[in-house]
Amino acid sequence: MKRIGRLKHFFFLLLLTFGFSGLTVAQDIQVDAELSETNIFNGEQVRLEVSVSGNAMGSVQQPELPEIDGLRWLRGSTSRGTQYTIINGKPSVTYTYGYVLIAQSPGDYTLPPITITVEDKTYQTDPIPFTVLDPASLESGDAERAPDIYIRVEPDTKDPVVGQQVVADVVLYFKNGVEVSSYQPTPGWKAEGFWKEELNYPQRAQTSSTIVNGVRYQKARLIQYALFPTKSGELTLSPFEITVSVRSRRSSADPFGFGLNQERMTLQSTPVTLNVEGLPELNNAEFIGAVGDFEITRTISTSSALVGESIEINTQVSGKGNIPLVNKPDYELPESLERYNPEESSNIERNDREITGSRNFRDIVIPRNEGDYTIPATKVAYYDPSRSDFVIVTLPELTFRAERDPDAPLLTEKDLRFNVKPITGLASWSKPEVKPLHERVLVWMMIIFPILLTAGAYGFKKYHDRMQTDSAFSRSRRATDKANSTLEEADQTNDIKAGYHLIDKALTQFITDKLNLPPAGLSHDQLMEAVEKFNDRELNDRLRKILNKCKTIAYAPNATQESLTADIEITREIIKKIGKLS
Amino acid sequence: MNIRSLIVSIGILILSQNVWAQQGSFDQANTLLENGSPMEAMSAYRNVESSGSVSGALYLNMGITAMQLDSLGLSKFYFLKAKEYSTTQQQATEALGYVNSQFSRQSAILPKLPWDRAIDWINNQLSAFGLFLIGFLLTLSGLSLLYLGWLDKVPLSKTFSTQLTLIIIGSSLALLAFYADYVNQRYDEAVLISSSQRVLESPDENSALVSIAYEGYDLTVDQWESEQAEEWVYVRLGNGQYGWTKPAGIKTL
Repeated sequence: MKRIGRLKHFFFLLLLTFGFSGLTVAQDIQVDAELSETNIFNGEQVRLEVSVSGNAMGSVQQPELPEIDGLRWLRGSTSRGTQYTIINGKPSVTYTYGYVLIAQSPGDYTLPPITITVEDKTYQTDPIPFTVLDPASLESGDAERAPDIYIRVEPDTKDPVVGQQVVADVVLYFKNGVEVSSYQPTPGWKAEGFWKEELNYPQRAQTSSTIVNGVRYQKARLIQYALFPTKSGELTLSPFEITVSVRSRRSSADPFGFGLNQERMTLQSTPVTLNVEGLPELNNAEFIGAVGDFEITRTISTSSALVGESIEINTQVSGKGNIPLVNKPDYELPESLERYNPEESSNIERNDREITGSRNFRDIVIPRNEGDYTIPATKVAYYDPSRSDFVIVTLPELTFRAERDPDAPLLTEKDLRFNVKPITGLASWSKPEVKPLHERVLVWMMIIFPILLTAGAYGFKKYHDRMQTDSAFSRSRRATDKANSTLEEADQTNDIKAGYHLIDKALTQFITDKLNLPPAGLSHDQLMEAVEKFNDRELNDRLRKILNKCKTIAYAPNATQESLTADIEITREIIKKIGKLS
Repeated sequence: MNIRSLIVSIGILILSQNVWAQQGSFDQANTLLENGSPMEAMSAYRNVESSGSVSGALYLNMGITAMQLDSLGLSKFYFLKAKEYSTTQQQATEALGYVNSQFSRQSAILPKLPWDRAIDWINNQLSAFGLFLIGFLLTLSGLSLLYLGWLDKVPLSKTFSTQLTLIIIGSSLALLAFYADYVNQRYDEAVLISSSQRVLESPDENSALVSIAYEGYDLTVDQWESEQAEEWVYVRLGNGQYGWTKPAGIKTL
């Protein structure tokens, strides 16, 4: 492995030395210096990296650090690295020298240019301003009170005009020691009063260091939105919510530092209010709702057409800004042109922190007569926030000529002759019926009839089923008919004893059937006991009397046919009464 | 002869006298047309029409009279009316072919969607009530099968799918009939009989122009939408555009 690495190194240097030795262009050497932090607490360590890159370098001397006010170099901490890259077939090499420095005294300083010698030529880095902060000057408890992690929605401007693009970054802040393993925005963030477009942004967020109220945080830009205010006034961006998985080292809970605490938490940003200004008045042109930097063009598909042929008038608004909100310019078309519904299409890019693209409108018109047609020039305007003024674009006049199609089929003489004669005989007369369906009684009857029929049929089905399966119900329903039939028989007999026997039979059958008692074997007393439950004294007396008479008829010498008939009537009344009470 | 028979006989007599009066006025109007007095003939035809009873022959003759009066839009309107009657459909179609060829400006016509064509067919050929009747009978057949099943006259389980199919199809047809009737009540076919008319975006003289309709253009009037603005009607042009226009000059079929 080692040998291969050396070989690769050797071949790369060979390529750099010989492969490009014939180049006559000047060597492109670039030197850079970078401080890991520019706001540093007194006593805090900071890393300085000096890099030298170029496509052909011989010898590079390690740069010597000059005296740096405010910082002290910790000798022995120097590191060195080399990186080879080939971009578009061109090899390049970068040497990196790292130094660790410590902040010494509070104040504002500047890192002086660092001199680097490459092949006897000297290069210098740019100076870097930095600040050393005094931790003692911070209010006590600030660091403790500061949250470990939070998010903010940071718009790039807080006082846009209506329609102006505002880039809103969703930025996550977290303290050193907090490790964010994943994040998931809660869908459905509303930006009321704004047209919202999510901008394309690298999936893996890059972090950088910053100090907020004296506390060092890592910050990562997670999502970017392009927002376009649709009205003026104070508009508030509602809180943005995100769920993050974090791992934090908690020394109090984990004194040995064995583990990392995994935790899911939901973060919410504070609302941000923007003061949106209205657009100024515009009188001499038509404002099409576009705010940004645009190019507006209008073209016609042809300058000559046949009568009845469709002609397209294409209008394109392209550039950067609120493209989705651009309206179609209104054109003054000759009245003799037949006009169809215009078509619209958009092509939008969401890269590089801005919305770019084009919006296209296509008017379709058809000349119905031959002649020269002119669509007059028109002035349209968009608002350019960088100029704080409207930009008026004059769309040029469009003309075309319409001619008759010489190949169009001519109407024949037959086609042009009108051969229909009036009807002069008897006609069949009728009165036109214009009554709507819902006003016809017959229709409502036809709707209600099946419903009633179904309800009736269902009721009958339930009754039929019960008569078949419920013997008590069946006996009860048939009791009156059976009793009346027996009494009818008693009414027709001439034998008085047999008549009273039939009355007894009718009453016994009726009471046992109606009250679901055993059909045979019950005495008169048991029947009376069953009927006494109704608490009707008169009924009880009459029933007892009739039953006694039936029982003792064999010993009653005065019984006549008239008394039998009267007792049959009384029995009918008793049956009727029990039927009502049960 | 009892009282009921007497009343029926009197009713038939009055009705037939009315029809005879219609026919008589119609014959007089025809004579005026044959004698070269189209203006008077048109007036006489209109009297017949206003009396309540109409016929395909009446509308066909009115269309021919309107042509003689050099009113192509009006003649198209009457020929379209005559086309609705089977007795004059053929002549009216021929006459319409001629009249349409005479208009100096022709409107582009977007073909109707299949669903709209189906609804038109129901309203013009079958009638909403006819469809409702079919739906009613199918539903009743399904219900009758169900009743027979309840009474154990037919096996309920074996006829269940047939019952369900009949009831669902019948009810759907009845609902479709109501929808077709709703469309029929809401939208009216119309013809522009004036030389031209501006169709605007909103019911306001100063609003933007959508298009200009010319004599003979077929329009669809949305009666419900038109109720929102007095003295304006909301119309759909043959090419699919919508707009507001004044009702004068529009004859609704």
